[in-house]
Amino acid sequence: MALIKTQPTPESVTEEVRRHPRDCAGLLAQLTDPDPTVRRWAARDLADCPDISPVLVERLHQEADVSVREVIVTTLTGLGDAAAVAGLVECLRSEDAALRNEAIEAMRQLPDAVAPIMRGLLADPDPDVRIFAVNILESFCYPEVEAWLIAVIDHDPHVNVCATAVDLLGEIGTLAARESLLRLKARFANEPYIRFAADLALERLCES
Amino acid sequence: MNPDPETVDPIITESDFQKFREFFYRKTGIQFDSSKRYFVDKRLVERIAATGTGSFRGYFMLLRFQVNGDELQALTNLMTVNETYFFREEYQFQCLVGSLLPEIVARKTDRRPIRIWVMPSSSGEEPYSIAIYLLERWVGIHHWDVEIIASDIDTRILAQARQGLYSQRSVQYLPPDYLKRYFKRRAEGYQISDDLRQSVEFTRVNLSERADTRNYRDFDVIFCRNLLIYFDDVSRKTATETFYDALLPGGFICLGHSESMSRSSSLYKVRKFTNAIVYQRPLETP
Repeated sequence: MALIKTQPTPESVTEEVRRHPRDCAGLLAQLTDPDPTVRRWAARDLADCPDISPVLVERLHQEADVSVREVIVTTLTGLGDAAAVAGLVECLRSEDAALRNEAIEAMRQLPDAVAPIMRGLLADPDPDVRIFAVNILESFCYPEVEAWLIAVIDHDPHVNVCATAVDLLGEIGTLAARESLLRLKARFANEPYIRFAADLALERLCES
Repeated sequence: MNPDPETVDPIITESDFQKFREFFYRKTGIQFDSSKRYFVDKRLVERIAATGTGSFRGYFMLLRFQVNGDELQALTNLMTVNETYFFREEYQFQCLVGSLLPEIVARKTDRRPIRIWVMPSSSGEEPYSIAIYLLERWVGIHHWDVEIIASDIDTRILAQARQGLYSQRSVQYLPPDYLKRYFKRRAEGYQISDDLRQSVEFTRVNLSERADTRNYRDFDVIFCRNLLIYFDDVSRKTATETFYDALLPGGFICLGHSESMSRSSSLYKVRKFTNAIVYQRPLETP
């Protein structure tokens, strides 16, 4: 027994042997294959098929295997079209925390596609979705992030949504947020956490 | 007098840089932020001169539309950083022979070889270090076959790795008796023995290309050190998912000391061994 010797060839690794056809119809069929490895590869390769996001979104909600779901979310992130983003938004409403977190991570990677719907997310009737929208903003590379957060602390009626937004303003807020933070303290005068977080954010406001 | 246009470096504007970095990212998954501007510009200017395209625009058109992709490969070779040395981050090799391999062989139910994938291979110091470590410090090498495959996106560095010729600086941390046993003194430095050169298979792989990675399967251990730090979040996630499929259930992946899997994927189990923290594909799907 020893290290296996190879014949030095420029590029060797074994030739690809196909067990399944790689056309779009074949890949769609493989998306429900019993073997998760086959499903993962189908989810990756479907990225090259046209108008595939709605199918992947539908599959995402049915898929039980976390490893396959991760690949589907990555493919949707790479596609980043309107249907993919709409599907990720739906995941924010899921009872499955892992799926919600995957959607939040994915949407953070898509600032240009998510920015146009951000106001809508921040005004969603479900306060949990509004909190997740603020979570998306945590590492969202977009110039309007502070303005959105200021609007949240000015208008959102839910204390937990405001608390999430004020925490983030403590990291990225500028002097533009000062008046809104003072108003927030007054609006939630009986909420010790809001008073604490707003004071901390006020101390940390940047000059610019 | 105006300078001769042939001798003046072409100007790379901010918008050229943006355009180039988006294109290069799409093709390779490698992201250059603004702090890398000088590094990128210098190499672009070098390739514009080498190809005689004369301007960024001319060069960019060549890069985008060249059918055989040779220029993209030449540029990729220049843009990737290849700095390593023998026995770098040795604690992981100690972990390999002291913890990972004993666990792998205890679990094995067949006599198939143990497979190790090193990505990126760079100029070969890491895969050859692993080969030496196995021969010198792992008693199991007398009972098991081991296959080492090392891959890189850079074809020039792969040729260098196959040649196995190293400077004094590269081999400075090797024990002298290992140097004597596994290297031949050459005028240009030290060349690794033919025996060891034949023990590592070098292949060209772009981690961002599904067609390149599809056949990389059934590995027991993957070493991917100090590569993912050059990737952005999406490419890093894609790479970690690719590694997941390349590993056997229960297989291990070793990252660089400053790298972590936790932000890219929740699929791996964190394993804390005496010498290192390693990530493991669970035996059962989570």
